Amino acid sequence: METKYDAIVVGTGVSGGWAAKELCEKGLKTLVLERGRMIKHIEDYPTMNNDPWDYESGEVITNETKRVQPKQSRTGYTTAESSKHFFVNDHEHPYNETQRFDWMRGYHVGGRSITWGRQSYRLTDFDFEANIKDGIAVDWPIRYKDLAPWYDYVEGYIGVSGQNVGLPQFPDGNYLKPMDFNCVEDHLQESISKNYKDRLLTIGRTAIITEGTKPGLGRMTCQYRSRCIRGCPFGAYFSSNSSTLPAAENTGNMTLRPNSLVHEVLYDADKKRATGVRVIDTETKEVFEFSAKVIFLCASAVPSTSILMQSKSEAFPNGMGNESDQLGRNIMDHHLGVGASATTDDFKDKYYFGRRNNGIYIPRFRNIGGKTDQKNFLRGYGYQGGGSRSGWTSKVAELGYGAQFKEEVLNPGSWSIGLGGFGEVLPYEDNRMTLDYNKLDQWGLPTVTFDASLKENEFNMRKDMQQQAVEMLENARFKNVKGHDGDYALGLGIHEMGTARMGHDRKTSVLNKYNQIHDVPNVFVTDGSAMTSASNVNPSLTYMAMTARAANHAVEELKKMNL
Amino acid sequence: MDRRKALKNIGTGIGAIAVTPTVVSMFQSCQTAASYTPVFFNADDLNKVAQLMELIIPGTEIPGAIELKLPEFTDTYIKAVWSEGDQENLSKGWAAFLNAASQATGKDAAQLENSDWDAQLAKYLKPGNDIPASEATAAAFAEQLRHLTVNAFKTNEYIGENVLAYAPIPGDYKGCVDLMETTGGKAWSL
Repeated sequence: METKYDAIVVGTGVSGGWAAKELCEKGLKTLVLERGRMIKHIEDYPTMNNDPWDYESGEVITNETKRVQPKQSRTGYTTAESSKHFFVNDHEHPYNETQRFDWMRGYHVGGRSITWGRQSYRLTDFDFEANIKDGIAVDWPIRYKDLAPWYDYVEGYIGVSGQNVGLPQFPDGNYLKPMDFNCVEDHLQESISKNYKDRLLTIGRTAIITEGTKPGLGRMTCQYRSRCIRGCPFGAYFSSNSSTLPAAENTGNMTLRPNSLVHEVLYDADKKRATGVRVIDTETKEVFEFSAKVIFLCASAVPSTSILMQSKSEAFPNGMGNESDQLGRNIMDHHLGVGASATTDDFKDKYYFGRRNNGIYIPRFRNIGGKTDQKNFLRGYGYQGGGSRSGWTSKVAELGYGAQFKEEVLNPGSWSIGLGGFGEVLPYEDNRMTLDYNKLDQWGLPTVTFDASLKENEFNMRKDMQQQAVEMLENARFKNVKGHDGDYALGLGIHEMGTARMGHDRKTSVLNKYNQIHDVPNVFVTDGSAMTSASNVNPSLTYMAMTARAANHAVEELKKMNL
Repeated sequence: MDRRKALKNIGTGIGAIAVTPTVVSMFQSCQTAASYTPVFFNADDLNKVAQLMELIIPGTEIPGAIELKLPEFTDTYIKAVWSEGDQENLSKGWAAFLNAASQATGKDAAQLENSDWDAQLAKYLKPGNDIPASEATAAAFAEQLRHLTVNAFKTNEYIGENVLAYAPIPGDYKGCVDLMETTGGKAWSL
């Protein structure tokens, strides 16, 4: 078995896939380590063509699933029959909650790139400058101009459909043609444009091909089945399995090793460089060491941080790169589950064709200067949502039961529409994860403990998120407008961020402006852990852009013999 | 015979017209032939519940609850999906429903006939009736059973693939189209 490589990539989700592709394409012999099982594109998507009636009780979360995956089932959808196999068994992979934390994940090649929500937005300088302006946490060491060319590059490669709208707080991109609105969404868009000067509604920007093809394993245009989370036989949405890993494979430079649990980065104090990683083979329980010139940690925020915490040496008694004591702190997510919904009796003769696995989007309109600035909270939120025609008509209730009732339930129900906020969570030092060495997992490794919660800024923001959603739906003259503020705990947004943040200073941050550990420059961390602030937009596209940028920097530095 | 193949052959052979109940029976016979053993209701109760479900979704030119085996689906569904607390409440509701039906008719539960069930459902599910507080639990059961029956109906393979508008691979998305032109007025099954 070869144990020496040019580069090691830990993890195969959106970040790991991009690191693998970029490093391999630049000629580095790259070992890609994944703790979970192999998932081959198409071949290993067992549920991709299933209908609800292919399951004994339909597309539901069963009591048996809730027993095996009690925490993973907290989302209310990810562990339904057709996607539960892409989420972990909570008994085999335990973690601890001083305060409730919803840690949703799957251990397999492709990681959450198979099951992600695909919404793809760019951060802006409103985000990169937010901490310094607000005097919160530390300043981002990068600005929009540093990342913009990498956003262009990544969007072009993976395929993102969307509409350019020309808002400074919502940068335009390199988009494939936007998907359609349905009738009620069209109506809401017109109403918002008529009633508000400070906001607009656009179609979601989603990593789904809407025209032509993209590189990878036969990636083609969306067939509108709305079954993305199961893996797509058409490769229409971006996943590592359909796109970046095949690209890496094609170079002949990639060695992909599933069932390989990395738990430590090895360090040479004389050279002041990492030398490799220590790995447990989860099938044989054998321990291996692999060495490389550069190491990319792309295991997602919590595992990458956990690996660094376990990488203790004389030089780093509290974990690699943790001189600042920031490792594991500032954990962020996007807070959601708050908004409003409504119905309408209009558009009864209208319907839609196909199932669009994408929603509508209202970009941030708070705290971007002038009249938009708020007294009660910092930062902002966007809305995601959509209209649909399901449920029961009012006629159904009148008919009660029987033959006519039966006819009526076969007809489309009334239209409804919903808006759900995605809000920025601030970085708080005492929102953190730690390791518990008294509770070991089946590999003898420490388990993660979460102790984090929303605070006043988020709670104040949630009030506005609900209120504005209600108002916009009422202004559009929808009926039965109902606000909601539901069950949310950190993690439920499935956007864990911030536990090894970027910054200018080694005393207050873990990573530099190229995602290198300040004192160990050949270790790059390019997943959610690098985020200095959360912004209010879905983060995966930013991880991809950051990863491509960091990989480019790594290769340049290798050429200059700096690493 | 493979059920899917049977359905596909029917679909191409005789087009989209309603398939006769005989044909439905034909491909249901392709499923496991063994008789169903209830897991939530007892066998006796499931027979009564099946009569109620058949009143909610009766056989018309489209098969009804019993022919589509909705009672069996529902019995399994309750056990597999509902929480223990909800299952207990449903059991209490069913007992209350039986009790209310007996009181209304002066009959033992075993003697209740279709017309008695129909009267009870009419009382609870047709709009505009004043339900006495003492029968709130029985009425709630009727509503739950209606929901369960409709869920089973719309999750049924035959209904999903042949009666509702079925497009497993639409190939395109159009956001705002004419309902009659697109599905003939029917809901999409997926």
